[in-house]
Amino acid sequence: MVTTTRTVRTQLSSQSFVESFSANVRGFPDGPALVWRGEPVSYRELNDRALRAKAELSEADIGAAPIGVRCAKSPDSVALVLACLMDQRSFLLPSTTLPEHTLQELFRRAGCTRVLTVSDSSSGRYSWAVVPGTDGTRHNHTRHNSGVRSFSPDPEAVTFMLTTSGSTGPPKIVPLSEGAVDRFTDWAGRQFELGAGRSVLNVSPLSFDLCLLDIWATLKHGGCVVLVEPSQATSGEYLRDLLIRHEVELVQAVPMFYQLLTRVNRDDAGELSSVRHVVVTGDSIAPQCLVQLPGMFPSARLYNLYGCTETNDSLSYEIDPTDLPTSALPLGDPLPGVRALLVNEDGTIRTGPGTGELYVSTPFQTSGYLGLPDHESRFVAHPDGADALRYFRTGDLVHRHENGSLTLEGRTDFQVKVRGVRTNIEDVERVLRTHPDIAEVAVVAVPDLVAGHLLHAETRRVPGSALNSLLLRRFCADQLPLTAIPTTFRITDDPLPRTSTGKPDRHLVARLRRTEG
Amino acid sequence: MNHTQTITKFLVEEFLPDVPAESLAADYDLLSGGVIDSLGLLRVIAWLEDRFDVVVDDIEIAPDNFRTVTAMSAFVQNARRTG
Repeated sequence: MVTTTRTVRTQLSSQSFVESFSANVRGFPDGPALVWRGEPVSYRELNDRALRAKAELSEADIGAAPIGVRCAKSPDSVALVLACLMDQRSFLLPSTTLPEHTLQELFRRAGCTRVLTVSDSSSGRYSWAVVPGTDGTRHNHTRHNSGVRSFSPDPEAVTFMLTTSGSTGPPKIVPLSEGAVDRFTDWAGRQFELGAGRSVLNVSPLSFDLCLLDIWATLKHGGCVVLVEPSQATSGEYLRDLLIRHEVELVQAVPMFYQLLTRVNRDDAGELSSVRHVVVTGDSIAPQCLVQLPGMFPSARLYNLYGCTETNDSLSYEIDPTDLPTSALPLGDPLPGVRALLVNEDGTIRTGPGTGELYVSTPFQTSGYLGLPDHESRFVAHPDGADALRYFRTGDLVHRHENGSLTLEGRTDFQVKVRGVRTNIEDVERVLRTHPDIAEVAVVAVPDLVAGHLLHAETRRVPGSALNSLLLRRFCADQLPLTAIPTTFRITDDPLPRTSTGKPDRHLVARLRRTEG
Repeated sequence: MNHTQTITKFLVEEFLPDVPAESLAADYDLLSGGVIDSLGLLRVIAWLEDRFDVVVDDIEIAPDNFRTVTAMSAFVQNARRTG
């Protein structure tokens, strides 16, 4: 088994991202690399901007230290990430929705002394900020070779450092090696026929793992990334217009995106017929949304893609538009080189039908959370020692049916997806409980057609307190990512319903909330 | 009621039902203060369009136009004048 997997992995050709990108710049300099606010940015221009950003990196005199990258999506922020990749410099790309002190803590933990931002999007000027608590200049990392370095592939070198959505305290840092990124972007290019002249929509923020497919795989294979403006990502009309105007061929998005599109879909078939691949990812899609996809995208193949930040895409299911599943969508089969296991509560492997925790090992996965030992994280050996791979415990409970197909059942913990972002309701409760005016709290996830789930917080304040939702929202915004702030709050002076064991009864709170609508 | 009061009243009813309208300062940052998220922003914009008979172009859905009651009010005023 070990040999087979290894063989599969070596057979997966692994082209270097930077070398492929440079070849595209030489091969078709005037071809469009990006579309931003209706204007194309050619490969030559994107490369020029990346070289300017790279010059900024070498002038900064920070040796080989990793840097923080903090910017909203734009051609210059894409160029900045490119510059880091060309410079073989690892960089932390955290979500911009995190509270300020959490961001700074993350930069410190990643070893960044300085953070680069795009200060003026019209001129593409960069500006540096010093990470508080660091010296901000030289770092004890030194370059192996000083002076002008030419790029030479190094599969083990850390490139992107992404973050988990961690709803309390600083999220975990997920470093990705050059090899992992190269293998993933190669797979994506083959799977979705990426290439010159092919337009791909990028919906998610630059800090999301989804960009490895829609931005980075596209640029590697010479395609054109149509960037969605983050501030308009919830406007169905804007999104539909982008798909039509730029003849987008590949769309990858969380179910909320498709839900927004169905609201503005005019149903005069053919409008979105340029789209050849539609990827649903990040959450379970509602059946009433799924049934509209084949009509909305008449020329597209439809996929349900399962993955985590830690492992990247792992399982894929192609949806038959003429035979739509009426219940949960299957997760499908492991991607090439991926191993997937169902593990029982006692740690044994479940080979037949039934439910277990999904473990996956992928050629695209991180080497582990930065600064966390394996036993504190979720990376483990094969439960039977059947191979020498490292498996990631996804925390997802998965059911294997009689026919062998897999579907998501739930979580081993209290995580839910809110607008496609993993959120742990226990973590949100824990934060709320630290408020001095809160006596008890129950946070529940209420199913929502558009968002997947929305959070509702039921709280009892301490007697005599003047706590209200404005104050409580402010308190949350200082400690939680914006996506983890409950959509609705109810602050009462009455005790919360309790279970027989005396804990706040989340199920009852959720049921009451649902009936109230 | 002027625009600021009308907008404040809507926001409080919609997002902060337990909060007296006078507690919401006109310059309070509703986005970073966790009051309005991206989906909430869509609801606000739809309401502004309907209530004040203005059209919000895609390009104008810049969060800075809707960060505070004052910003929303200024946006409405401006849109009515130019529109």
